[in-house]
Amino acid sequence: MIAIAQRNLRIFFRDRAAVLFSLLAVFIILGLYVIFLADNIVAGLPEIPGVDFLINSWILAGILAVTSVTSTMGAFGIMVEDRSRKILKDFTTSPLQKAKLTGGYILSACSVGIIMSIVALLLGEGYLLLFDGELLPWASLLEVLGLIVLAVLASSSIVFFITTFMRSSNAFSAASTVIGTLIGFLTGIYVPVGSLPDTVQWVIKLFPISHAGVLIRSVMLERPMEVSFAGAPAEALEQFEQNMGVVYQLGDYTVQSWLSITILIGTTLLFFGLSMLNLSRKSK
Amino acid sequence: MSKIIEVSDLKKSFGPLEAVKKIDFYVEEGSLFAFLGPNGAGKSTTIDMISTQLKPDGGRIIINGYELGQEDDHIRSSIGIVFQDSLLDPLLTVEENLRTRGSFYGMSRAELDAAITSASVTANVTEFLKRPYGKLSGGQRRRADIARALIHTPKILFLDEPTTGLDPQTRKSVWEMVLKLQREQGMTVFLTTHYMEEAAQADYITIIDHGEVLAHGTPLELKTRYTSDVLKIKPKHDEELVALLEEQVGTSGYERDTAGIYCIPLEKTLDALPLLDLSRDNIDNVEIINGTLDDVFIRLTGTEVRNG
Repeated sequence: MIAIAQRNLRIFFRDRAAVLFSLLAVFIILGLYVIFLADNIVAGLPEIPGVDFLINSWILAGILAVTSVTSTMGAFGIMVEDRSRKILKDFTTSPLQKAKLTGGYILSACSVGIIMSIVALLLGEGYLLLFDGELLPWASLLEVLGLIVLAVLASSSIVFFITTFMRSSNAFSAASTVIGTLIGFLTGIYVPVGSLPDTVQWVIKLFPISHAGVLIRSVMLERPMEVSFAGAPAEALEQFEQNMGVVYQLGDYTVQSWLSITILIGTTLLFFGLSMLNLSRKSK
Repeated sequence: MSKIIEVSDLKKSFGPLEAVKKIDFYVEEGSLFAFLGPNGAGKSTTIDMISTQLKPDGGRIIINGYELGQEDDHIRSSIGIVFQDSLLDPLLTVEENLRTRGSFYGMSRAELDAAITSASVTANVTEFLKRPYGKLSGGQRRRADIARALIHTPKILFLDEPTTGLDPQTRKSVWEMVLKLQREQGMTVFLTTHYMEEAAQADYITIIDHGEVLAHGTPLELKTRYTSDVLKIKPKHDEELVALLEEQVGTSGYERDTAGIYCIPLEKTLDALPLLDLSRDNIDNVEIINGTLDDVFIRLTGTEVRNG
């Protein structure tokens, strides 16, 4: 399993274009944000101190949630490629257990996801620092890392499930394009979730990966919100949190962190389970 | 010698298509076995089943004493396969490829190191061990494929058209390597090929078509059984030769081709002598063609070796 994972990681990181493309989503979102979205969002907020730090942290949290999906997708591309280029034949005629092979693919995809998310985090922190922000304190950094792992697990399970249906590289790259485009909307990172119509809000709040976004935001915005809302009325903070998707409100219920974490873990188990079912159905 | 591969009553259908109807054969340990057939004959299907990739619908396969379907992992450890297409990772070096693949066979680190060295020496890939597989030439790739197949020193080496698409020189060197493995290391070699001059060097040949075995035997046996020598005479005067042939072999005993050459199939090569004696003064040009494996193949399958 380790050997397969190692092989996949080597192949992934040696394909410079693939690495760049998996980070491309990060740059595109950042670009969109800097050029179009930031001003809108700031304009929608009351006059508050440290608004750049606040909003930059907000978008970075969203980017991390999206990266967990786009980067694992790149890594699972190797699995589809192995199948379409028939390299899989070489594996299935070796005394290598199927579970170990599958485990190797998942392990490498998760590793890629975590590595790329950390790269995005570091780049993002650099960006924050550049525009009057502060670095995350150590404790929060550890929390964010933990959440990245959770987000990557949940995302990779969903992407893996989709991958089990893909037979050709073309189909897979088409699917990745669609997912890559949709994912930003589904996780609600482009515009404040509060400014969207109710139905769209529900779709976003029910999409599991968006909970990774909420969790990461709640950690990363802790300090900026302290700065920006110092001395402001509690309602203003609460309104900001709801509007920007730092906490989710489902009807009268405010979603707690434990529920979001449970949703991520549940998603991981559910989709890996479904993938196994799909794989064993096919191998007959 | 003992039988290292035994296939009996093998069947496989894909929907209404009976790819393999009934195939029986065996391979003796240490021999070079050629498995021939036109494309679509059921060759690949059979090999896919033997190499544990495809489940047979019926029949029995025993490889190196292990029963297919029950001891598949033992079978997989006993065989090495050189696939028709290159199946190594182009972005990894030859050594990394060998190391990844070698790790499937449960070797310790030291064993794996030794295995990589010995496979690379045997397949002659040491000089480009550190180069990415994707940057190698066709011949180098093929050698790397062979090194991969040898990494766990299998008892049986499967080669699926190992020399197809190689230039003549590379073809020769790859072929010599295969022969060396069989002769010097006593490895059993199971080969499919489109080149009859390669098949001619096999110890035993099995020819299949339409999912059934058409013939089997040593190259010599097959040639004796399925081909005849042909005497070709270009006469000075047609009428004279025709008269002689009508008398000696009858109308069905000869044929005149478009170039004006008379072809007379012979039971034995020596049968040519009396005919030549009788027509001595009328001969412009003469040759005797021995039957070849190509003839055997064409005779049995009714086609040229279908390429592609």
